[in-house]
Amino acid sequence: MSLWVDQFRPRTLDDLHYHKNLSTRLKSLAASGDFPHMLFYGPSGAGKKTRISATLRQLFGAGAEKLKIDQRVFLTPSKRKIEVNLVTSNYHIEITPSEAGNYDRVVIQELLKEIAQTQQVDMNAKQRFKVVIINEADSLSRDAQAALRRTMEKYMSNMRVILCANSTSKLIAPIKSRCLLMRVPAPNSDEMTAVLTHVAKRAYFDLPPEAAQEIVSDSNGNMRKAILVLEALKMQSPDLSGPLSIAKPDWETYCHKIANLIVTEQTPARVMEIRTKFYELLSHCIPPTVIIKTVAEALVTQVDEPLKPEIMHWAAFYEVRMRIGSKKIYHLEAWVVKCMSLYKQSFFQFDMDDFD
Amino acid sequence: MAPKKSSAKTKPKPTTVRLDFAPPASKRIDPLTAFAAPKPKGKAKETEDDRLWVEIYEPTSQTELAVHPKKVEDVRRWLEEAFVGGPSGKLRKYRRILALTGLAGVGKTATIRVLAREMNCEVLEWRNAMGDNAYTGFQDDHQTLFSKFENFLERAATCNTVFAGPSSSQTKRRIVLLEDLPNLLHADTRTKFHNAFQALVASPDPNPVPVVLIVSDSGTRGEAADDRLLTGQSRERDDAMDIYTILPRDLLNGPYVTQIGFNPIAPTIMKKALQSMIHSHFSSQTSNAPSKEILDVIIETSNGDIRSAIMALQFSCIVELPSGKRKKGTKGNAKVLLEAITRREQSLVLFHLLGKVFYNKRKSFLVRVTHRTPVQRRRTFLKDKELDAALRDPPKLPHHLSAHERRTSRVNVDMLYADSPIDSSLFSLYIHQNYHQYCNEMEECEGVAEWLSWVESSGGEAWYQANPHQFHLLALGTLHSLPSPVPRRNQKCFKPQFFDYLTKEKDAWDADEDHRVGSWSRAEVVTELGGVLKARDTNPTASMRAPLSHQLFSRLDFVPGSDGSGLSQLSEAEVPGVVEGLVEDTDHVGGWETGNKNGGGWLEDDEIDEF
Repeated sequence: MSLWVDQFRPRTLDDLHYHKNLSTRLKSLAASGDFPHMLFYGPSGAGKKTRISATLRQLFGAGAEKLKIDQRVFLTPSKRKIEVNLVTSNYHIEITPSEAGNYDRVVIQELLKEIAQTQQVDMNAKQRFKVVIINEADSLSRDAQAALRRTMEKYMSNMRVILCANSTSKLIAPIKSRCLLMRVPAPNSDEMTAVLTHVAKRAYFDLPPEAAQEIVSDSNGNMRKAILVLEALKMQSPDLSGPLSIAKPDWETYCHKIANLIVTEQTPARVMEIRTKFYELLSHCIPPTVIIKTVAEALVTQVDEPLKPEIMHWAAFYEVRMRIGSKKIYHLEAWVVKCMSLYKQSFFQFDMDDFD
Repeated sequence: MAPKKSSAKTKPKPTTVRLDFAPPASKRIDPLTAFAAPKPKGKAKETEDDRLWVEIYEPTSQTELAVHPKKVEDVRRWLEEAFVGGPSGKLRKYRRILALTGLAGVGKTATIRVLAREMNCEVLEWRNAMGDNAYTGFQDDHQTLFSKFENFLERAATCNTVFAGPSSSQTKRRIVLLEDLPNLLHADTRTKFHNAFQALVASPDPNPVPVVLIVSDSGTRGEAADDRLLTGQSRERDDAMDIYTILPRDLLNGPYVTQIGFNPIAPTIMKKALQSMIHSHFSSQTSNAPSKEILDVIIETSNGDIRSAIMALQFSCIVELPSGKRKKGTKGNAKVLLEAITRREQSLVLFHLLGKVFYNKRKSFLVRVTHRTPVQRRRTFLKDKELDAALRDPPKLPHHLSAHERRTSRVNVDMLYADSPIDSSLFSLYIHQNYHQYCNEMEECEGVAEWLSWVESSGGEAWYQANPHQFHLLALGTLHSLPSPVPRRNQKCFKPQFFDYLTKEKDAWDADEDHRVGSWSRAEVVTELGGVLKARDTNPTASMRAPLSHQLFSRLDFVPGSDGSGLSQLSEAEVPGVVEGLVEDTDHVGGWETGNKNGGGWLEDDEIDEF
């Protein structure tokens, strides 16, 4: 199945619709012959990966687009097998080490060493180095980041690393300092409208401006989401006229309902009820960070002003714990209980004030 | 297990047909025998039997068995159904494998042997004959131990014995007893073993021979297993032998396998058995018989393990225990000594462990149990009082900490840890699943949740950086946060749902994997692709449908209210518990601390009925 997002993705740096000066910079970098390690960061759906692949094409030519997908098996020190998917071309290799969970260090070390120790054999290749793209670099464990840091220095002669992350805050400083940082900001609404219209043209239909407006405001600067919504809407009502109802994904509505549960009742029994909901979300693979963020955002719209910073503070607090710990549900629940008790306290305080 | 000395030597031993070379000495040699039976001091006894009492007084009939009659009846019914087929005669097909589980020394083997004798059937037992045929050069027909086992199983299940008497060759009932199993920790052997059982069950034998498996449970301890449990790769604990490693999962849940769990032997039953054993052993002279107190101590320290109790009893008859009858004050010493001999790890049943934590009993808390007789109530009261006397009050807290003021807890966390049958990770899961029922206020919930969260995230990323005090911190934190007394409102103890959801999550990830296109990351697929996939499903004209498995992650229907489905209650039998309705011994840990049990005070404070 091919989605519009993938089908109409810009291939070259010239095709990109927005952030023109970023494109020029990338182009001149690729031409300079002194290509550094890079770190692309920015919100999801801003076009980081699109830019990375366009840069690759700029570096290596069309050959970088001949992709194949492999599965590699790594053996941990404790003899457990880990399967990791690799997307490779002759010139680069793309991995998502977070798939290996706690063993990402093994994957990083083995793979990078292997690539770095083999020279480029293709004599027609435009560059003497290979590129390793590491997705979701911000979810790399400390160990893996430390391993990466050493390898980046050691094998600079025949390998470049391109990291792709949502935020740089979770990367250790030595890695940041070894990379050229490229921030890819989210597109503004005009840029998004332009892209949507372009997609519609490529798919041979006309996008009413109201519909575009609707989609853009719904997708919060996430280009991928916008195009996906466009495709879904087109499938539901082919003419895209009249009032559009952009359905939120199930998990999002689910999170909003959890927020309702929190404000309507604060009892131990309700805690139990919410826990099952959280379990349900987790078992649908919704990342716990996304859960806590969505619920918190929904929650602050429903509480009084002084409580809002508190709720966000504790959400951040438990999000950190969640990252360290392994049983996510504990931390989600601890946060909910905290919020409930804060809410209840403020409620009672309010009552008392009223009484006085 | 009552004594029957006279019959001990003449009793018919169950015949054991060995299909391979039997080791000459089939009797199991216990290293303890070496010094457990020294020359009797003083007056020589009439019987110079140097066997252990456990063997001498092996039960010979159901009345002598110290197992709860209900359990024996269960096993008997199963065997009868296996031979006859139940009332409809159709059950026979499904009575192929019986698994008896339970801690060591709760009478599993004894039950089968006694029943086999009573029902007049032959027991074919497999024993690992290690090194029986000493290696004699090259042998063409050399078999590995496992192929021997396979042959045994196959032949025992299908062939009739050649040596059977002419009269009874057809009518003689047989059962196959498997207690000594091949090395199942070896993955290959385990697979083969599982296959052998699958084949056994699949064979359409009209006259199947039932197989009885005896598995002694041993709990899991140690924190290293955590990691594996969590990653959800396998819940099978490879290095612990339990029923799940022995039988394949599908077979275990299938119709051919019946599992009967044995509980530790209740003190009352054990007392009766030991008393009658003493009675017959010392029938001639009463002077040497161990005192009543010693008997009590033995029973108490054995934790329902009758084998260990009999051993301890024999031991106490051989060596002169420091207490004797004269000085009652030294009873503590005897207790310490006996405890050192018989004490078993993991003796606290999970169910009671949780009860102790959740009910959060503190000093000068009176149990109001209405359905007890005044005598029992008084006894409880006295015991609690004595317990409380031993507890010291904590120093007064300064004013700004007054919110943390608590009375001294009656729960000894060190003891709990020593006796806990589960590791701290599982312990935290159990606490997490159940704590909210015991809270009144959000503040209490907040305390427990905070502790759970903190303890879980303390320590580093690798297992060896984990906080070594997790269990203590959790237990203490929970006790500190919960109200005291905890209101009783018929709380039920549930098993953690964590693992069910973990499996679901794994399935969803697999489905996720199927839907990945290009360089999408997993999380992106889950959070953003749902809408399109749903639209494709609802649109009949869409040319390409995604595999329906995406619903595992994209479909989430909000059901208001908490559905109780998927909750399974923790039963006492889960990790073997005390015989229901007969005895309650939740407070035996407390008894160890102070050692103030007065003769046979077993029917005391109850926790169990509350659950």
